[in-house]
Amino acid sequence: MKSTWTSRFTSFLFILPYLAAFGMFLLFPILYGVVISLQDFELLSDAHPFVGLRNYITIFTPGTHENSIFFRGLWTTFQFVLYSVPLLIVAGLGMAMLVNALPAKLRGLFRTFYFLPYALSASVMAVIWLMMFDTNAGFINSLLQKLELTGIPWLTATPWVWLALVLTTLWWTIGFNMIIFVNALNEVPEDYYEAAAIDGAGAWNRFMSITLPTIRPVMLFVMITSTIASFNIYAQPFLLTRGGPGDTTKVLLINVLDQAFVRKDIGSASAMAILMALLIMMVSIVQFRLTNRKEKV
Amino acid sequence: MGRTRRIGLLLLASLIALFVLLPLVWMLSTAFKNDFEALSGRMNFLPQKPTLDNFVQGLSGELMNTPILRWIVNSLSVGIAGTAIVLLIDSMAAFALARLPDLPLRRTLLSMFIASLMIPSVLTFLPMYIEFNTLGLINTYQALILPATAGAFGVFLLYQFFVSFPKEIEEAARIDGVNKWKLYTRILLPSAVPIMMTLGIFTFMGIYNDFVWPLYATTSPEMRTITAGIAMMATGSYTQSYGKLMAMTTIAALPVLILFIAGQRSFVKAITSSGVK
Repeated sequence: MKSTWTSRFTSFLFILPYLAAFGMFLLFPILYGVVISLQDFELLSDAHPFVGLRNYITIFTPGTHENSIFFRGLWTTFQFVLYSVPLLIVAGLGMAMLVNALPAKLRGLFRTFYFLPYALSASVMAVIWLMMFDTNAGFINSLLQKLELTGIPWLTATPWVWLALVLTTLWWTIGFNMIIFVNALNEVPEDYYEAAAIDGAGAWNRFMSITLPTIRPVMLFVMITSTIASFNIYAQPFLLTRGGPGDTTKVLLINVLDQAFVRKDIGSASAMAILMALLIMMVSIVQFRLTNRKEKV
Repeated sequence: MGRTRRIGLLLLASLIALFVLLPLVWMLSTAFKNDFEALSGRMNFLPQKPTLDNFVQGLSGELMNTPILRWIVNSLSVGIAGTAIVLLIDSMAAFALARLPDLPLRRTLLSMFIASLMIPSVLTFLPMYIEFNTLGLINTYQALILPATAGAFGVFLLYQFFVSFPKEIEEAARIDGVNKWKLYTRILLPSAVPIMMTLGIFTFMGIYNDFVWPLYATTSPEMRTITAGIAMMATGSYTQSYGKLMAMTTIAALPVLILFIAGQRSFVKAITSSGVK
């Protein structure tokens, strides 16, 4: 194909609008964020003197406020990842298998039911659960009282806050994992199971020796996406527990945004955001390595 | 499979469905209760004195600092505008990457876009805020629309589709002297309608449901999106007005729930093609 200067130019025009958006609202902010993290950047001040790595050093200096909120936030987030991710995977796979075991006519219906909460926004989800978990008038405590049990301070005391956060997260996002697993299960070749059935393998054996190995890449994908999503948790503790009781559920993202918008220290908050992003990206890179997937370019 | 086992599975599936749907049913039921009944702790799914007051008060703007109708209009507007821009610029870019081999830096750009899919949003959040603040665009529609146009997901999704499009049709068109723009608008775009619908639903729901960015990118009550507005209500003076809150969440959830049920297939397709295979 002939490729003149004009032809190359007109080809470039097609990509220009997106490239502009990409440059202005993705590439530039990434680079600018690095610059900000190297500055003493107060939100309301006009001068932003360059301070080198000071913001980073402060975060790693024990005893400073920044050190405390970064690492305590990180630990809180890590706890949430630890509690939520195994459930998100196991329950997601379990629900996918359950849906697939239903009569064909009912599958679509139940899949829609389970997937429905995923369509809601974070604030709608949170407000619904604020009401469900309300200590005095909430649905769950009313139910417990009917059963002559005492009410539970779901959003104000440990360990209940964790249970509440994990439950709402499951309710809200499990449909996503279920859909991915349903798709993966449908792609396991039917004759594998037939061959195993002839060999007299039981249901558990078939699951362990056929289903699990075949869906392993998808399992890994779900594991990584769930970990990243849980790492980014914000709306649930922000709206449901307000980080409480005390600082128990103040996750990293809450602390980073507080540092930026409450303490108005954008420089230090940017340094924290970059460290957090690096941690998240390390998880993604592990995914690429483990699944060994190659994109066609 | 045994009959008892089948019934057992169905029972289990129904029990889970109950757990999933109950909060939504309770939301709907509470929206029709007055504040007194909503706080009474009674577990009646049918309101004793059903009332439309929560909806009427909410929609008429009688509630302090909560112009709900305006929020809905804001959310729908920025959702539609953002989706339109994404569909246009992403399809043009994907077309160039997949179909115009003389595009300068083709491979570099493609790798860069794919790599950007791994960038967590926390990395761009604060600098983007400062960028919009410097441009004087905080608390404007631009701030709610533009950041959504930079994502590479749509480019990648459409690129995969355009790459698999048969070459013969394109070559026949080229011999007929069709230029690039016509190739894009007359031949590739019409064939891409289903996948564009998928991307459209996905993008719209993403913008409509976005939570953290609109919370910080808007500062005055009338610029809030419904998602941010409800969050402000819930953390502000309406904490215990469950009837009103539930009427608002019902209104807020309705557009996406309808879109979601209508476009569920499309939506599932977008998710499963987002990189699992």
